[in-house]
Formats: sequence, structure tokens, C-alpha cells
Amino acid sequence: MAVITLSGVTKSFGSVSIIKGVDLTIDDGEFVIFVGPSGSGKSTLLRLIAGLEETSGGHILIDGTDVTDRGPAERALSMVFQSYALYPTKTVRQNMSFGLEVARLPRAEIDRRVDAAAAILKLEPYMARKPRALSGGQRQRVAIGRAIVREPVAFLFDEPLSNLDAALRVDMRVEIAKLHRRLAATMVYVTHDQVEAMTLADKIVVLDGGVIQQVGSPMELYERPANLFVAQFIGSPKMNVLPASADGRAIIVPGGKVRLAAPPPAMIAHLGARPENIVITPPGQGDIDGRVDVVERLGSDTFAYVTVPDAGVLTVRIVGNDVGIAIDQPVGLAFDTQRLHLFDTRGQAVPVAAA
Amino acid sequence: MGIVGNTVRSARFRLSRWVLTAILCIYLVYTLIPIFYVVTASTKTNADLFGTFGLWFSDDFHLRENLVDLFTMQDGIFLRWLGNTFFYALTSAIGAAFFALLAGYAFAKYDFAGKRLLFALVLGAVMIPQTALVIPLYLLFSKVGLLNTPLAVILPSLVFPPGVFLMRVYVEEAVSDEIIDAGRVDGAGELHILSGLTFRLLMPGFATVFILAFVAAWNNYFLPLVVMSTSDQFPVTVGLAIWYASATTGSGGNLLFTVVMAGSLVSILPVILAFLIMQRFWQGGLSAGSVKA
Repeated sequence: MAVITLSGVTKSFGSVSIIKGVDLTIDDGEFVIFVGPSGSGKSTLLRLIAGLEETSGGHILIDGTDVTDRGPAERALSMVFQSYALYPTKTVRQNMSFGLEVARLPRAEIDRRVDAAAAILKLEPYMARKPRALSGGQRQRVAIGRAIVREPVAFLFDEPLSNLDAALRVDMRVEIAKLHRRLAATMVYVTHDQVEAMTLADKIVVLDGGVIQQVGSPMELYERPANLFVAQFIGSPKMNVLPASADGRAIIVPGGKVRLAAPPPAMIAHLGARPENIVITPPGQGDIDGRVDVVERLGSDTFAYVTVPDAGVLTVRIVGNDVGIAIDQPVGLAFDTQRLHLFDTRGQAVPVAAA
Repeated sequence: MGIVGNTVRSARFRLSRWVLTAILCIYLVYTLIPIFYVVTASTKTNADLFGTFGLWFSDDFHLRENLVDLFTMQDGIFLRWLGNTFFYALTSAIGAAFFALLAGYAFAKYDFAGKRLLFALVLGAVMIPQTALVIPLYLLFSKVGLLNTPLAVILPSLVFPPGVFLMRVYVEEAVSDEIIDAGRVDGAGELHILSGLTFRLLMPGFATVFILAFVAAWNNYFLPLVVMSTSDQFPVTVGLAIWYASATTGSGGNLLFTVVMAGSLVSILPVILAFLIMQRFWQGGLSAGSVKA
């Protein structure tokens, strides 16, 4: 198993800079997820680690050895691709043993490893089939099996679940989590789905524009986002953000004031509040007033979308489904002042209790 | 209305379908008449060839005798020509398809300096008629002493620019980058990936280039005419043309037009056979199940 270290890694395609200097350490046995919107460079970063792309600058170390100039096979990593990338003319067994045959392992050893992986992934009934005779989930498991048999120092996953339907995606997510526990292997996983990131990761790396925005555990990112981008990217529904300014012991937002126990820092420009940290009150009794736009009842929760003049639409999460609010009803909104997020003009987080 | 107006039941659709079918039928007849003429002419006696209606058989069915004449004429040299043509066409086609595969694969899957310029050169080469290159080739081969050897016909035929173009397009469609990447992560070298993982996906494209190059080499006339000087090196095209020329001038003594017609008939059969054999490689869906579309 392995520690992967990136130092000052950059990547440009022609004059287009995709990765603009990444420093990151992935610890042994850690499940690290790269998350970010399309074009954030997360897949490119994974391919740089895999050795499928050459770095434009910086160094990549695996267990202290500089592998920057080594090819993908020499890095002893395994990769699971978004499209599965199974070898279509080979059977499941041949797909899984190909890499070991290339490495000239003895036949008995190849069979032992392939059988073991097939048992873990419950693929035994399909070993003689070609990929086209498998379902999407089975293909995904073959791709994972092909990664396991190589006994790599680390696993790389490039959006492995994005081609599966919603129900299967949840199942496979659980299977990957179990696999990580079972193998105790270092795993690096790319996704644009922040739910996958929150549920699977030991450590999330949020990328945007080729730059790391924040690194931390899922709950760290959720509770203490370093900037507006992370604040809005992590969490579903996303965090409400209002323009804000400080005024003594209160924060002025469009349509009202939020009173705090201590004076807020002077340089704040945005106030963030997660949907579950806003409470609906009768009109005039909250911090600001608005009008209910849409109500979504999910059974366990209800989301109310409340239009606030000059602030846009705020999302409020209410536990339960019997919430007694109706569309077009005027309401007040009260913020949980213990759980506010404040950001300066550059979008960087400012501690709430600065004083 | 847009979609409704263009369904298969609409009058417009039916009309354009009839027009298209009619045009294709005319084209089909235009294509088949010469072949049919070869078939009928090769069954006639020399006298009937000029005395009866050209597009139908005469009462005297003379095919067997014509074939016997064909294969015994000049100590059976026709068989030698047929063998030569087969050898030239097969080696040329295998070589041309092989190089087209490698070049097309590189153009499709690798980034390298000068890629656009080189591909522009390939496209430009498609435009150059092979005939225009024959005289320079003759001079080249005479310098290196390859005139009147099989290589003089085979070497130029290995260069098949349309095949490179076809293979590039085919590789781009048929092989996903992720399969190649998966092979790299599995530790396979680039040639191993091509031969072991992706070549079978490319068989339909490879077969297409092979058959096109095979037909081009089989029908090649001008190049062997210029670079071959002894009749035991001739391919069928050149041999038949020389027989035909001597039949026209009447200097061949017993040389007959019927023998030339029978020779033409025999010489197109292997090409038809090649198409039938290669047909089984044109099957789609080979990569089904590998990557999600």
C-alpha cells in the first residue's frame, strides 16, 4: 500500500493550463475523492497520477519514489475507468488475467488471484462470458476485478458509477465502500457527484479551475467550508448565500438584519446559511420576510423555496411533511446564528465568532 | 407538420423512393452489361462472337473449348499470369493493409509533432493518379536494378493513401481511448495493445482496406506494363492486353478474341470470390459491451 505525494504538479495542453499547481498528500489506506464541476481538472489530475498523462511541471511520488517520468505500468497502480473499458473480445476471466499475463506471472498464481477476485465480486457465474453479455453493474464489477487482481499499491477510480442507473449506483457505492474496508487499500476516486464524495471519502479534495479549493474530511468541508465555492458545492440542496455587510452587532442582509451575540468581522460580504439552519416563522417575526414559491415534499423532509426581495430564492429544509405552509404564503425566515457562514469580498471564509 | 409530411407513407416520400430506385436500377444495368457481355462472349466461337447479337448466348455453346484454349495457349502461360497476379495482389494487399493500419492507428490515437502536415500529405496523395508516378518509378527501379522483378510491382502498391485515411476514421470510431489506457495500466506495450486488444475490433476496417488494395493491385495494368519486360513476369492484365493487341493486328496466327474473353472471365472470378470470403469480416458490434456508449 502506498502514500502518494503530489508537489507543485501542473499540466497544460498547449497554451491551456488545466492543473495550476497542486500539492497534496494521500496517506496509506486513505480513501480520497477528487470532486469538482466539469472542467475542474479532477480527471486530468487522476490521469497524471496514473501516468496516462505527462506532467508539465512538479513531481509525483509514490512511497517516496519519484515516479514522474515512469509509465503507467511501472507505477503499480490500478485504474477503473468511467466507461469500464473492458476488452470486448476477451472473456471476463481473460479480461481479469490480461495484466497478470503481461507481467508473466505463473499460470497458477494468475488463476488463484482471478478466482479470489471473482469470489469477492460474486463474478464466478460469468467468468466465461464476453463483456457484451453482461449488465452494466456486472461490467463495472469486472472492471473492479481487473483492478484488484494486480494487487496494486493504490486504486484509481475515474467516475466509475456515472454510467449506472440511480439504484445500481447506490448499491455499487456501498460495495466500493466495503471493498475499501476489506482491502484497506489507498483509493483515489474522481466524481462530480458530491453525494458520492460525502458518503465514501475519508478525505475530499475539492477542485475548481485546476486549483485545490479545500482538502478535508466530508464533515469539515460541510461545517467549515474554506470559501464560497466549497460552501455551495458541498451539501444538497446547496447553501443559501446572501449579500451581507456588518453593522455593529448585526449583519445587514437584503430585507432585514441578523443579530449576533458578538460583533461580526467588518470585512464580510456574503452570508451563507444551509437550508436546515433556517427556520420558518410567521411574517415579521424572523430576520427577514419572503413569500413561499414552491414546496417540495419528499416524505421525510420538505423543501420550501422562499423568494426574498433583492436576495433571490432561499431554500429552507423542514423535517417532516406536515409543515402547514402553502404556496404564495408570506413567511418570515429566522437564521440559526450559531451555524452561519461568513465570507469576505474574495469569497474566503471568515470565522463567525471573530470577537 | 414537419415530421408528418415526411413519413414513409407520404406521397413525397414514395415519389422520391421511386425516383431513387429507378436511378439505382439504371446504374445497376449500366454496371452489369459489360460483365454480362464478358459472360456471353466467352461462350461463343470466334465466328459467333462477331456474327451474333452481343448480349445473348449463341446456339453453339463453346465455353469449354475456349477455356481449354485459354489454359493451353503458349504452353499454359495464362496460368502463370494468373499466379503472378494472385501473388502480386495478395502481397500488396496484405502489406498495404498492414501499413495503412499502423499509419491510421497512429494518426487516430497518438499526438505527435507534424501530425496535421503529414495527414494533409496523405490526403494529397489520394488525389495523385498512380499513372502519374509510373515513369518516375520506372527510373527509380532501373537505378536500383529492380526492373522486371516482382518487387517493382509490389513495392509501389504497398503505399495506399486511401487506406490510411479509411483506417484513421475507422480506428477513431471503433477503439475507445479508455481501452488503450486500460491496456497501458495493465502494463502492455503499444504494439501489444494493438495486436492483443484492439486489432480484432479493427478487423472490419482492416478487411475493407485489404479488399480495396487487393482489387487495386489485381486490376493494376499500367505499372506492370512499364516495369515488367518478360512475359513470365506479367500479371493477367498485361498478358491479356498483349494477346488482345496481337489478335487485333492479326499477327498471332491462331490467337483468337474468344480466348481473350475467356481470360477476362476467369480473371474476374477470384475478385468476386475474394469479396465473398471477406464479407464475413464486415460485422458490426464487435466492441459491444466494452465501453458504454
